[in-house]
Amino acid sequence: MRRFIICNLLLVICHLTFAQSDFDIANTAYAEGKYEEAATLYQSLIDEQPDAVLYYNLGNARYKQGELAQAILNYERALRLKPNYKDAKYNLVFAQSRITDNIAEQDFFLLAWTRAVRNCLSEHTWWVLSISLFILALIGLLLFLLGRETWIRKTAFHTAWIALLFSLIAGLNAGSLHQRDTLRNEAIITQGIVNAKSSPDRSGTDLFTIHEGTKVTIRETLGEWSNVRVGSNEGWIRSSCLERI
Amino acid sequence: MGFIGIALSALADEVVFRANAPKQVIAGRPFQLSYTVNQRSRDLRAPEFTDFDVLSGPYTSTSSSTSFVNGKRSSSFEQTYTYTLMATKEGTFTIGPATVKVDGENIQSNGVRIQVLPADQPQQTQQPTQSTRNNQNNQSTQSASSQAASSENLFVRTIASKTRVHEQEALMITYKLYFANVDVAQLTNNTKLPEFTGFLKQDLEQGEIQTELEHYNGRNYQTAVLYRTILYPQHSGDIKIDPANFEAVLRVQVQQRARSIFDDFFGSYTNVTKMLTAPGVTIHVSPLPTGKPAGFSGGVGHFTLTPSISQTEIQANEAVTIKLDISGSGNMKLLKTPAIDWPEGFEPYDPKVTNNFKTTTSGVSGTKSIEYLAIPRSAGEYTIPAVNFSYFDIDSKAYKTLSTPEYTIRVKRGAGESSAISDQPSVVSYTQKEDIKQLGSDIRYIDTKAPKTTNQKSQITNYNLIWLWYVIPLIIAIVLLIVLRKQIQEASDLTRMKYKRANKVAQKRLKAASAALKANDSNTFYAAIESAAWTYLSDRLSIPTADLNKENIASILRQKGVSEALIKEVMDVLSTAEFARYAPTTDHTMDDLYTATTNLINNLEDQKI
Repeated sequence: MRRFIICNLLLVICHLTFAQSDFDIANTAYAEGKYEEAATLYQSLIDEQPDAVLYYNLGNARYKQGELAQAILNYERALRLKPNYKDAKYNLVFAQSRITDNIAEQDFFLLAWTRAVRNCLSEHTWWVLSISLFILALIGLLLFLLGRETWIRKTAFHTAWIALLFSLIAGLNAGSLHQRDTLRNEAIITQGIVNAKSSPDRSGTDLFTIHEGTKVTIRETLGEWSNVRVGSNEGWIRSSCLERI
Repeated sequence: MGFIGIALSALADEVVFRANAPKQVIAGRPFQLSYTVNQRSRDLRAPEFTDFDVLSGPYTSTSSSTSFVNGKRSSSFEQTYTYTLMATKEGTFTIGPATVKVDGENIQSNGVRIQVLPADQPQQTQQPTQSTRNNQNNQSTQSASSQAASSENLFVRTIASKTRVHEQEALMITYKLYFANVDVAQLTNNTKLPEFTGFLKQDLEQGEIQTELEHYNGRNYQTAVLYRTILYPQHSGDIKIDPANFEAVLRVQVQQRARSIFDDFFGSYTNVTKMLTAPGVTIHVSPLPTGKPAGFSGGVGHFTLTPSISQTEIQANEAVTIKLDISGSGNMKLLKTPAIDWPEGFEPYDPKVTNNFKTTTSGVSGTKSIEYLAIPRSAGEYTIPAVNFSYFDIDSKAYKTLSTPEYTIRVKRGAGESSAISDQPSVVSYTQKEDIKQLGSDIRYIDTKAPKTTNQKSQITNYNLIWLWYVIPLIIAIVLLIVLRKQIQEASDLTRMKYKRANKVAQKRLKAASAALKANDSNTFYAAIESAAWTYLSDRLSIPTADLNKENIASILRQKGVSEALIKEVMDVLSTAEFARYAPTTDHTMDDLYTATTNLINNLEDQKI
C-alpha cells in the first residue's frame, strides 16, 4: 500500500516535471529548426492550458514553416490573452507585412483610436479599473455631501464626476472586449486565395478576392458559409477557409 | 555453282506465295488468276472455283534473274501458275486460298475478292476491250477514233457523296473519269477546279491514278479518280458547285490508207487533246437546329472526350496539366478549344494543341489533344470546374455535351517558399505592396520563459456577475447616505444658511450699530459696523474666516464680476471702519459710515453673486 502511494507520488512528480520540460523540449526543437515538432508540442500544451507565451511561440514556429495565416492567427490569440505583449505585436505586424492583401483600417479615425485604446488592456484589467473608479466616485459623492468645508466639498465633487466618467469609459471598454471574446467573430483567412461570393452557394457571383492571413469579421453563418466583412466589402465565403481567433 | 547460289538465297528468303486477280471483271469475259511463289514448288492445290468457269490452266511458268550490284549478287526466282477463268454470274465472289508444297511444307496463299460486273447491254454495239483493240480491223479502228470524242465513251462525272447535309457536315466530291474504247494517254495539268466557295475544303491524299472497271449506265467503263475532296459547308442554303474542266490526251490511230500489212502492224498514232467538263452540282445545306448548348464548340460529327490530369496533389509553384483528347470524326479543324475556368491563384498558360488528323473518304478523323498548363501560386484546396464540350451529333441529329469531371487539386506549400523564410532574409517576391519595406529582418525569437501555470486559474474568467461589483458599493453608499442623512443635512444647511442669512445677520449688526449711534457710543458703533461688514462678506462670499482679508475679498469680488466702483466702496468702508475704530476722527462722521455700510450691503445684495 505504501509502495503504491510512493509510486503514485513519483508519477505525479514525473508528470509535473514532464509538463514543465515539454515546454523546454519544444523550445529546443525550435532552436534546432525542427519547427513542425515544436509546433506540435506547443499545440498540445495549449490544449492543456492556453497561454499567451505558448500562442506566441506556436505562431513563431508556424511562421518559420511558412504558414503565414496560422502564424497571424496565433499572434492574435496571444494578444487576446496579453494585449500589451510587445514581441507578439511586433511579430504580428511583421507577419502582416508579408500577406498579400493591403487592407488598411478604413474606420473613422476616432473609432480606430478608441479601439486601439480598448485593446491596450485586457478585459480583466478594464473591469478592475472601472470598479475601482466607481468606488472612488462613490466615496467622492459621500465626501461632497458630508464635507463641512467648502474646499473639501469642491474637491470631492470634482473627483466624483471625473471618476464616474472614467469608470464608465473603462466599463464600456471591458464590455466591448467581453462581447468580442464571447462572439469570437473575428477570423483569419487560412486558404491561399478565396473568392467571396454574393450568396452562400457556389453559383454566386464572385465579388472580391482575399488572400490568406487577412483578418475578417464574421457577420453571419449559414450552413458551411460565412458572411464576412473586410474593410468595406462584404461577401460569403466557405467557413473552412477561415479560422476564428 | 549458280544453282547453289540460288538455293542459298532461297533458303535465306522467306517463302512468298500470292494470288493475283483483277478486282473487277465482266461477266462472260475471260480473265486470268495467277499464283506466284518465289521458290521452287510443286503440287499446287487450287480452291474450288464454284462461281467461275475454268477455261484453261493451270499453266506453269518459271523465271529467274541474277544481278550484280556493286559486286554483290542478288538473284530472284519466280514460279507462276496461271488459270484462265470466266465469271458466269454478277456479284462479288471470294476465291479461297490455294496451297503449294515448298520443300515438303504446305504454304497457303491469300484469298481474292472479285467483283463481277454485268456484261455490256446488247444495244451497245461497240464492245472492244483494250486487250483486243489493237487487233481490230480498219473499220473498227475508224469507228473508235470517230467515237473518241463522243461523250459516251469519255466523260467525267461529278459524284457528291451527299447532296443534303447539315452545316459543317462532311461530304465528299469525287471527279471520276470514265472511258471505254478510247486510249487515254495522260491527263494534262490544265485542270480547272471550281472555287468551292462556301465550303471548307480538305483534299484527300491522291496517290497514283489507278483504273478500275465500273459498270455504269449499262456499260462497263475503265474509271479513274481524278480528284477527291472533303467539303464542309460553312453556311446554310443551296450552295452551287461550278462545273470543273479536265484536259485529257488521247491516243488516236491516224486514219490513212493501208499501204502494207506493216502499216497496220506498227500503226501510226497521234495525240489529241480533249477538254472534259464535269457538271456542276448543288448541295442543299440545312442549318443546325436551334438551341445550341452554351459550350457549343462548333463541332459537327462524332466525338469522344478523354480527360486526364497530371496530378491532384502538388506543391505551390509546380505545374499542373490537364489534357483533353478529343477524338472522332467531323470538322475537327474547326473545333474551338474549350476554355478551363482556372480558380484564382492559378497562373494559366496558353493551351498547347496537338492535331493528329487523317483525311479519309468519310471525312477528317483523328485526335485533337489540348494540354492546359497552369501553375498554382499559393496553397489551398481548389476545385477546377467541369469543362463542357458540346457538338452536333450527325447520326442522332441532336446536340450532345461531353464533360470532364470536376477536379479537386490540393496545393501544398512549396518547398522553396518556407526555406526562403528560414534561411534568407525575407525579401518578399510576390507581394505587390509597396507600403512596407522590411529587408533583412526577421521575427523576434520565441519566449523561453515558461508561463506561470497558477496565474491563469486565479484570474476571473467568468464576467457575467461583474455587475455585482458595481451594485454592492452602490448599496453601501446608499446605506451610508441614509445613516448619515442628518449630518448631510447639517453640512448642507451650514453653507446654504450662511449665505441666506448673510443679510439678516448684517441687518442685526447694523441695528446694534444704529442703537450705538443714537447713544453716541462710538466704540460699540465702530465694532458693530466692522463686524457687520466682515461677517456679511464672509458668509455672502463663502470665504472661511481664516482666509478673510481685504485682498481675498477684492479678488473674489473681481472674479464674480462685481464692478470696480463697488469694490472700491467695499474697500473704503472696511478701511474706514478699521481706521476709525482705533483712531476716531471727525472726517467721517458715524452717520456717514452707517449710511455707506447700509448702502453697500444693499448694493451687494442686488448683485447676483
